[in-house]
Amino acid sequence: MSECIVITSGKGGVGKTTTSANLSVSLAMMGHKVAVVDADIGLRNLDVILGLENRIVYDLVHVIEGECRLKQALIRDKRLENLFLLPAAQTRDKSAVNPEQMRKLVEQLKAEFDYVIIDCPAGIEQGFKNSIAGADKAIIVTTPEVSAIRDADRIIGLVEAAELPEPRLIINRFRQKMVDRGDMLNKDDILEILAIPLIGVVPDHEDIIVSANRGAPVAFDDTSVVGEAYRRIARRVSGEADVPFVALQPVGIWENVKRWMGLSAKAGV
Amino acid sequence: MMELINRVFGSRLGSKDDAKARLKLLLVHDQVDLSPAQLDSMKAEIIEVIGRYVEIDRDSVDFKLERSNGEIALVSNVPVRRVVARAV
Ligand SMILES: Nc1ncnc2c1ncn2[C@@H]1O[C@H](COP(=O)(O)OP(=O)(O)OP(=O)(O)O)[C@@H](O)[C@H]1O
Ligand SMILES: [Mg+2]
Repeated sequence: MSECIVITSGKGGVGKTTTSANLSVSLAMMGHKVAVVDADIGLRNLDVILGLENRIVYDLVHVIEGECRLKQALIRDKRLENLFLLPAAQTRDKSAVNPEQMRKLVEQLKAEFDYVIIDCPAGIEQGFKNSIAGADKAIIVTTPEVSAIRDADRIIGLVEAAELPEPRLIINRFRQKMVDRGDMLNKDDILEILAIPLIGVVPDHEDIIVSANRGAPVAFDDTSVVGEAYRRIARRVSGEADVPFVALQPVGIWENVKRWMGLSAKAGV
Repeated sequence: MMELINRVFGSRLGSKDDAKARLKLLLVHDQVDLSPAQLDSMKAEIIEVIGRYVEIDRDSVDFKLERSNGEIALVSNVPVRRVVARAV
């Protein structure tokens, strides 16, 4: 049973590409055969995050225009032999592809892979429509900020209108310290507002930047708490029930006191 | 509860309450595509109608759009002083 999951958000820069890379790596580490598609045509990024930028010969638009076969465009990750990237074209724009073509492409990929992960561009126009065209499910990424949540709400409406069943939510760049002092929306606040199931909380963490510098997604790092957050998301995605949320590190004496008094909401990723 | 503790111990009220309140309002207006001004004029008209039947305390009328689980509801609380004598 193969499945295509689109990673989308509405607002730009909230972590779609980071999520796509880490979810794909995590699923592949679990032994699944994964293809991750960069649908951000014209602003390709996923190749860099995965550290595969030097190996691109053909891209998604070449495949769609019949200039190469799908197999020729797929780049195999040397670290994980069952992880493949289909890169976006850098010198074209979103109008080079239409939803029907994407649907066919995804179908072809699904015949070969257990999971097809689509990294959606920001916005609600052509690139978004292309990205959801072949998807079976959607994961919405947001940050705990008013503008990101507002856009997430809009995207949830559009995803549901496109009849993708039950979108699930990742809260990215979560900062327990700010939540503890009442300066950041917490998990429950966001879930109350967006009213969709939560599939993960990813802390705001330096490891993300370090791993982006190196071109090695943090999910590869088994000592990283952020890596663990992504690996657990992958377990939930693959259907494992009741994967516990990892406790975030206590952030200071005051928070410890509150936690000890039983007053702090249980934190987790 | 956290907020209470923060207040008791003298720290300022967190900004997340502002965020939440603003978001709730924002999403409702996004969804119904009704501006706060339009909502106000709807409120005025409805109160006008209610006022024809019962005497109401216009200053404490509560009238807002609320959203829970993706559904929008018009929630209103109109304190009634007494029924207006029917002019029949
Ligand atoms: N959990 C995190 N902690 C720290 N930094 C993060 C985290 N998630 C994302 N970032 C940073 O935020 C920036 C945007 O991330 P990313 O490119 O994944 O977002 P995007 O949603 O794909 O953006 P776009 O809309 O432009 O495609 C990057 O610089 C990334 O390193
Ligand atoms: Mg991106």
